[in-house]
Order: sequence, then structure tokens, then C-alpha cells
Amino acid sequence: MGSSSKRKKDKQKDFQKPKLKVGKTKAKPDNYTDTSFKSKSIVLTQQSLHLAAPTSNATFTHNLSLLSAKSDSQRRDSLAYLTTTISSRPVNSPLPQPVSVILPSLLPLILDGTTSVRTQLLKLLRTLPPGDVEDHVAQLLPYVRAGMTHLAADIRSSAVEILSWMIEAAGESTVSCAGGWIKTLNCFLSVLGWHTEESSRWSSSRASFGKAGSQGKPMVKTLGALAGFLDAGIGKPSIGGVDNEISGEDESADWPFPLCQTAQHMISDSSTPFAYLNLFGKPRDEEGEMYETREDRYRVFSTLFHPAIERGLKSAREEGGELGRASSGVSKVLKEAIAYGPGP
Amino acid sequence: MVKRKLGALEKVEADLPNLQHKIRRDPKSYIEDFRAQHYQYESHREIFMAAPSSATDTGVISLRDLIDFISHVADCYPGICKDFPQQLIDMLMQHHLVLETELREKLVGSLVLLKKKDLVDSATLLHTLFPILISTPSKTLRALLFQKILSELRTANSKTTNHKLNRTMQTVLFNLVTSDRTSAKGLWAIKITRELWKRQIWTEAKAVEVMKEAALSQNEKVIIGGVRFFLGGDKEREELEDEESDEEVSVGQVKHQLTINKKTRKKARVAEKAIKAVRNKERKKGNPAPLNFSALHLLHDPQGFADNMFFKHLQNGKSKLKLEQKLQVLQLVSRLVGLHKLHIMPLYSYFQKFLTPRQPSVTSFLASLAQASHDLVPPDVLEPLVQKIANEFVSEASAGEVATAGLNAIREICARQPLAIDETLLQDLVMYKKSKDKGVMMASKGLLSLYRDVGAQMLKKRDRGKEAAMSLRAGERQERRYGEQAAGEIEGLELLAKWKDDERRKRNIENGLPSDAEDNEEENDEADWAAWNVEDDDDSDVDGEWINVEEDVDIVLSDSEDEGKPASKKAKQEEEAKKDTEKAAEADKPIDFMKLATTRILTPADLAKLTELRAQAAADATLPGNKGRVAAPWTSRHTDDPLTAGEIEGLAALSAAKATREERIAHAKEGKTDRSEHMSKEARRKERKEEQGKSTTNKEKARKKNFLMTLGKARSKNKRSLVETRAVLRAHVDRGKRGGRRGNVGQ
Repeated sequence: MGSSSKRKKDKQKDFQKPKLKVGKTKAKPDNYTDTSFKSKSIVLTQQSLHLAAPTSNATFTHNLSLLSAKSDSQRRDSLAYLTTTISSRPVNSPLPQPVSVILPSLLPLILDGTTSVRTQLLKLLRTLPPGDVEDHVAQLLPYVRAGMTHLAADIRSSAVEILSWMIEAAGESTVSCAGGWIKTLNCFLSVLGWHTEESSRWSSSRASFGKAGSQGKPMVKTLGALAGFLDAGIGKPSIGGVDNEISGEDESADWPFPLCQTAQHMISDSSTPFAYLNLFGKPRDEEGEMYETREDRYRVFSTLFHPAIERGLKSAREEGGELGRASSGVSKVLKEAIAYGPGP
Repeated sequence: MVKRKLGALEKVEADLPNLQHKIRRDPKSYIEDFRAQHYQYESHREIFMAAPSSATDTGVISLRDLIDFISHVADCYPGICKDFPQQLIDMLMQHHLVLETELREKLVGSLVLLKKKDLVDSATLLHTLFPILISTPSKTLRALLFQKILSELRTANSKTTNHKLNRTMQTVLFNLVTSDRTSAKGLWAIKITRELWKRQIWTEAKAVEVMKEAALSQNEKVIIGGVRFFLGGDKEREELEDEESDEEVSVGQVKHQLTINKKTRKKARVAEKAIKAVRNKERKKGNPAPLNFSALHLLHDPQGFADNMFFKHLQNGKSKLKLEQKLQVLQLVSRLVGLHKLHIMPLYSYFQKFLTPRQPSVTSFLASLAQASHDLVPPDVLEPLVQKIANEFVSEASAGEVATAGLNAIREICARQPLAIDETLLQDLVMYKKSKDKGVMMASKGLLSLYRDVGAQMLKKRDRGKEAAMSLRAGERQERRYGEQAAGEIEGLELLAKWKDDERRKRNIENGLPSDAEDNEEENDEADWAAWNVEDDDDSDVDGEWINVEEDVDIVLSDSEDEGKPASKKAKQEEEAKKDTEKAAEADKPIDFMKLATTRILTPADLAKLTELRAQAAADATLPGNKGRVAAPWTSRHTDDPLTAGEIEGLAALSAAKATREERIAHAKEGKTDRSEHMSKEARRKERKEEQGKSTTNKEKARKKNFLMTLGKARSKNKRSLVETRAVLRAHVDRGKRGGRRGNVGQ
């Protein structure tokens, strides 16, 4: 039979055993690719050989650069290393690198897809000295806001956690930086789904998209963060603050007689004292504006957000349970703020 | 930074396309989700605007994805997205130089998408894209923008012409070309204009004006772009039109396939589209053909333009154009001169130094010179040029090709201005008709036959030919003097006059009058007025033609013998008188048919008849048995067509050495392009069937069947017993009666 025998032969050819001979090198397979190459010299650009181990500072920088690594475990480990280095340094000694260097590589990790990376990030952030964070709030906030409105619920909740940390660390600058008040409140409303009357009703079909978070009660956490945020923004100025003012007056009293109000003419403590002038940035709209005083914030809040938040709180209270309890915390802050009014 | 690979879970969590799909279905329920995404977009944008150049990778979702998402659903939430288009425009306009390529392309695509959703108007879109197109250094972005701009302009003009948009765009292009004449940016204006001209979207003078300015710029690329447009733009347009009309979709085939093949939604859509296209085409057919003037005719102030071109690019010593480019400019200038009969006197002396056989691409120069001559050019300007061509090219010593080119060039010049040559030179050149070289001989004969037509008295007596000599003797032909114009006339009017005359004779014979009698004109007129509309007398026209054939015979009879029958002796006297006057009438004839045009109003029926007669005459002229000479090539040429170097070279191929066998075969094959290889009729039929997607017959299937599959049956057939064979045969007969295996009963 013509073709079938031919086919058989073909088949046989495919599975033929190579004949091995003693004393001869093994035959190369058919698909062997010759990868050998010749070169007159070999230059290794990246190599640096040291006898001594790298300094802790160098390792720190190296780990900082590893934060943008592809594998998530690598990122997490680097973060862990950075955390331990910062937290275990001697008290009152400066950071191995200034915050302004560390922060830019940390920021994208707020939106990282892996949960463990984000939790580790939060740990690292907590170790940073609060005084240094204050100046970089304006950089942090856009990422946090992006995280709060992320499609993935996990990222949302960890962003809320970071925000609460920020309020703890630098509450005043968080609410008063550019875009910090209105935009962040908007994000809160959208996370809670309180924007419109319909969507805030508890009975409304909350056709919320995306997977529910794997961990815990995101709403409760968000409400806690909102309470802190409102307190920082429009809460009654604490006694300590008033004390400070008084003590400031005292300070002026410290100067010898002919000098009065000298404190006003001294170099400012904050890093960007004229930021409100917005000399170099784009013109800001209402949302992106800085609201530096409590009075301003209160005015904006009462016109834009008060009704929506009241409505949302009411429905949350009606829902009861843990959510209701958390909402009562917010209501308390709100009540105090309203009682204090637009300010003295 | 390298893009991070997404895990499956991450994808599920941040599934923007899924959300987009859901929003499309039910925008109201998902407003909160959309708002959240919009805030996220805002924050990402903020991050981006802080540092546009550094492409920060922001985790699972990038700004690009968000822009894509929002632009797809923006029409569902116009309130939330009212600033979105402006933001995209700003982002693109301010940062297009430093943007990441993918994001940049996404921005452009999203803007176009928003235009489709009517969230941006086309003027804004074009005002955004065009400046970037001009300024960006990125090639891919330019290609993308160019394509988007073109398609935007096409869609804007698809239903009706969007005059406002066209005008603004043309103004922008015009300003681009005129603002900086030294820059190469004008090329974009040329590209866009040329493309739109080709597609017949822009057909106005303003577009031509843009090209005119481009041709007058100082950058070589821009100049040549503009010049090329004038030389080839209209041809390109016509070709595209032909191509489009060639595309045929047969609805029948599509419908038929739909009944046979599996029915899918896609196939139904394809069929619907085909039907729609055919319907569109039919509707277009009903419309009157759009009047498209060629770019050369739409030029405003051609004299100024040609002057400028000549002095700026050709006469100017500083112009940096290469010879090839100069030739193109020269072609344009000479075409303008020939077409509009312009006067640029220095042009002719400019030609003087190029007219030697050693000049590269001299035939193009000769063609340009011929194009630039027209009957209003003073002969004494052209005469030295013709003299020089004759001296340099045409001599016994020069090669055949050279002499042919020279003679052809002289003929082309003289066809346009017959006075450009003096008698002795002409007679000298005509002598070359006896040349051994075939190309030279043909060229010389061409010159001869031209002058038999336009100036026979300049030829020697024995060269004039019978027709020309006779008409010269009759004094019918006179030399046309410089600047003399032929009286305007309606083409083919003499045919109509002759036809009318015939008709009148016929009618007279019917009425029993002598055929020549001046019948009552008024009655005739009334009949004409009655037949004002073409449609009305359609039927009678047909009848008339049928009668016509029979009566033709009658006329012949009556002319020869029975002329006098109806009339008396008086008629015979008249006949003699007629013969005398006939000769006079011959001479008067032109005046006679001009009378028809000047004294009467031609009715639409007349005009219809006129076109019919003209077509008839044209058809007659091409008949092989026709006595009249076939029309010379220079009379059949349209004034818009350019004269090419190839025509000047003419039959030079004939004077070259004998071609090799391969060349001859290739030459023979040139004419028969669509001839495929030799195949049997059956094979051809099969191929055609396959092309049409038709199935094979059972016979063919049986023939194609694998040999091994048939083997078993063949073998068993041999071993059949008689009983088995009988059963098989019976079954076969049975099957035949039933009508196949399945039978065709009860269908």
C-alpha cells in the first residue's frame, strides 16, 4: 500500500533512537542553537566589588530602589526592611534618607494591587516622624484620594487607613492643603455612596460594583476616618491650640521691650509658608483651593456637604448595628462643630 | 518602567470594561460608581499634572485606562463630564512633547471618540489636532493625527458639505502656507488638501488657492508638492472615481449565500450593509453628476501665478531647484500658458539654451515648449526656436531618434501656432518623408499632413495633396492670419441644418410640391414649437424614423426620373436654374447653417437631434470604409490634457535597432493584459465556479474521492454473488424511480 507504508516510514523516522557510540561526543539535537560567541573583551558595567559589606545607608538606598520591583514579595520585603531600619535606629538620630527622598517611591504603592504590600506600607508610614510628614501631605493626598475611589475594595479600605494615619500625624495640614478639603470630602461621600438622596437611602438597591473587600467592615472604618477628618477640619479648636496661641502671645512678650510682634517677622516654621499664594502652580478652581482657616472650611462644609452628610448619617443610624454605632461617632463630631458655629 | 504583569485576581477587581458595559446598559444605577471613577480620574490627573514627563506607574489602573473608560461612557453623564473634553485637550496641547506614546495616542483616540458622541465639535477637534500635527517631532503621532484629521473632515462632509468647517480649515491651511514660506510645514497643508481634493470633498477655488501659495513658497518640497498637485491632482481624482464605481457588490449573491450558509448575526449585518451600499449607489446615479472644474481652471489670476512661478523658480538664479524639479515647474508654467493663452515673453528665450540634443531630458523641454505655444504667441518669438530645433536636431547626420524628436516637437508647436515656421524650412523638413528611418519618416509625414490642413499654400505644389489643392484652387481655404479667431459656432450645427433641409424636401415631396420649393416657414415653425419638448414627440420621432427608411428610396427615385411628374414644365426650368445656383450654394453653405443659429431658437427637440447626429457622425468617422481621413491626433486632443515627453519621442522606437525576440514578445503582450494562461474550457468553467463559491457536482466529488476510500468497495464488487448483484441492480432501479436516496415525495 503506497501512501500508508510511506507514512509508516515517516513515523518511524520521527522516533528513531540516536545511536550512541563509546568515546564519541553525543550528537547535537536537531533544534540545537549555537549560543557561543566570541568577544575581545568583557566589560561589566554594573559590577562593583568590595571587600567590605555595604554600609547600612547603601542597603537602605538599594532597598528603596527595589520598591518598584516587579514581584510583589520583593516589594513587600523591601518595605519590611525599610520599616525595621527606620524603627530600630537610635532615638533622635535622623533618617537614613530624608522623607522627601523616600516618599516618591512609596506613593505609587498606595495603589498597589497586593494587600500585603499595602499593609506593610502602612506600617512603614507609621514609623515616619510626624513632623516630616506634615510638609509632604500635598503629595500624598492625590494618591490617597485615588485609592479611596479605586474599583478594588481592598485598595479603598487601605487608602482610608492611610488617610486616618495622615489625620493623626498631620491633621491640620491634611485639611488645609490645596484640594485637601473639598476633594477629599467628595471622595468620602463617593466611598460611602452618600452623594444623592436616592443613593444614600438604606433601602436603595446599592448596585455597587466590584468585589466586596476581603477584610472587615470597610464602611465602619470609613466612618471612623470621616469622624477624624471632620474633627480635624471643623472641630472645635482644642484647648491646646488656644493655649498655643496664648503662649505665642507670651513668646512675643519674651522679646525685650522695644521689639513687639517680632514673631510675625521671623522666618516661618513651615516649609512652604507662601503656598497659599500659588505663585508657580496652575490657577486653582474652587475644589482645588486651599482652605486654611477653620472658618473657611466651615463655610464650605455647611454649603456643600452638610445636607448630604446629615442625610447619610441618618440612614446609617437607621441601619443600626456596628454601622449605626460608628455613625454616632461622626454625628457627635458634627454636633460639636455646629455648636461651635462658624467660629469666634 | 516596565508594565507590571497583572494577576487574574487583580483584573477581576479592577475591571473597568465590565463596569463600562454595565453603565452602558443602565447609567442611572451605576452613577455612584461612575462618580467614584471620575474622582479617581481627577486624582490621577492631578498626580500626572504634577509631573507629566515622568511616567509613573500607578498600580493596577493607569490614567490611560481611566481616560478610555470615561470617554466611552461620557455621554451617559454629561453633567459630571462637562469639563472632561477640555481637560483632555489641555493635557494633549501642553504636554504632547513629553507624554508617553501610548497615553498620547489614547488621548487623541478619546478626543475623536468624544467628537463622535458630539461632546466636542469638529472645529474644536481640528483646532486641537492640527497644531500638534505641525509641531510634533514624533512620526507615529503625526501619522495618527493626519489620519484622524482626514477622517474627521470626511465624516463632517459625508452627508452635506460642511461649508463653514471647510472654510475655516482652508483658512488655517492657507495661513500655514503663507505665514512662513521657508519652512517645510506647508507640506501638511498640501497633503491634506490633495487628499481631500482627490476624494472630491474640496472642489472650490479656495483649496486651489492654498496649493497656489504652496507652489510659490521657498521650500523645495513644498514647491514641488504644490506643482505636482496642479499637474496630477485632477487625474488622481478621476482615477479614484473610476475605481469607486468599479467596486461592485452583487446583492443577489450575498442574499443567496445567506440562504445557504449558517445564519449568523454578522452575516446578516454584512448583507444589510451590501444592500444599503447598492441602494446608495443607485440613488447617487439618479443625481446629476457634480460639476468639477480642474484645478487649473479654478485658478484666480493665472497670468500672475504663471509669471510669479517663472520668475521665482526658473529665471531666478538663486533658486535651488534641481533639474527634475525645474522641469516640473516648467511643465506647470507651460501648461498654464497654453491653457489660458497667457503671455510670458521671457519664457521663450529661456527655452533657447536648453534646446540641444545633449541636454538631459530634452524631450520634456520640447514638450513644455510645445505646450507653451498657442495661437496668440507672436510668430517671430517662436520662429528662432523652431529654427534652432531644426538646426540642432534634424539633419541627415543626426541619429534617428533625435531627428524624430525634433520633427515631432516642431509639429506640435506648429499645430498650435502654424505661423511659427517659414516656408523654406517647412519644405525642407517635409523632404524627410523620404527618409529611410521609419520614425523620421512618420514624423515628417505628420508635419506634412498637419500643413495640408492648416497652411497648404506653404507646401510645394506636389506635396499639397488632392483635397488641399482643390480647396486652395476654389479659394475656400485662406491662410489664417496672426490673432485671427474662428467665428464661434455650435458644434455639429451644419449636420442639423442638413437634416432639416432633407426633412423639408421630404415633406415637400409628400405634399406634391417641388422638393426645393420654399415652403411656408410659419407652418414649419409652428410644428417646431409644438415639438418643443423632447418627451412629447418621442413616439412620433420613432415613427418618423421608420418612415424615413422607406422614403429614402422614394427620394432617389424622384431625383432621378420622376422629378417633373407632379410639377409642370415650369418645374423643369426651375431645375436648370437650381443646378446653377447649387454651386453658389456650396460656397454659401457655412453662412447658411449659421443662419439657422442666428435666426431661430433651437428647441430642446432640436438639441436632442443635434447630439444624436453628432454621435452618428463620430461613429461614421471611425468606420473602416470611410473615405474621409481619420482625424489627426492633434485635433482629438483635449485642451486640458498635458503633452508628454513620450509623445515627443514618438515612434523613436521604430528607428531604434531591431528589438530582440523577448522585447518583441513583451511588446506584443502589452496590449493583452487580461489574458491568463492557456486552459481548457472545462477547467476555466470550474475555476469560475470556485470563484463564485458554488459547490461541486456529484460527479466531481466522485472523481476527487481518495483512491483508498474507493478501494474496499471495488474489491467487494468483484466478489459479489449473482444474487447480491441482482439485489444491487434492483435497488438502483428502485432508487431511480423514487427519485434519489431520500426521494422527492412529500416535500
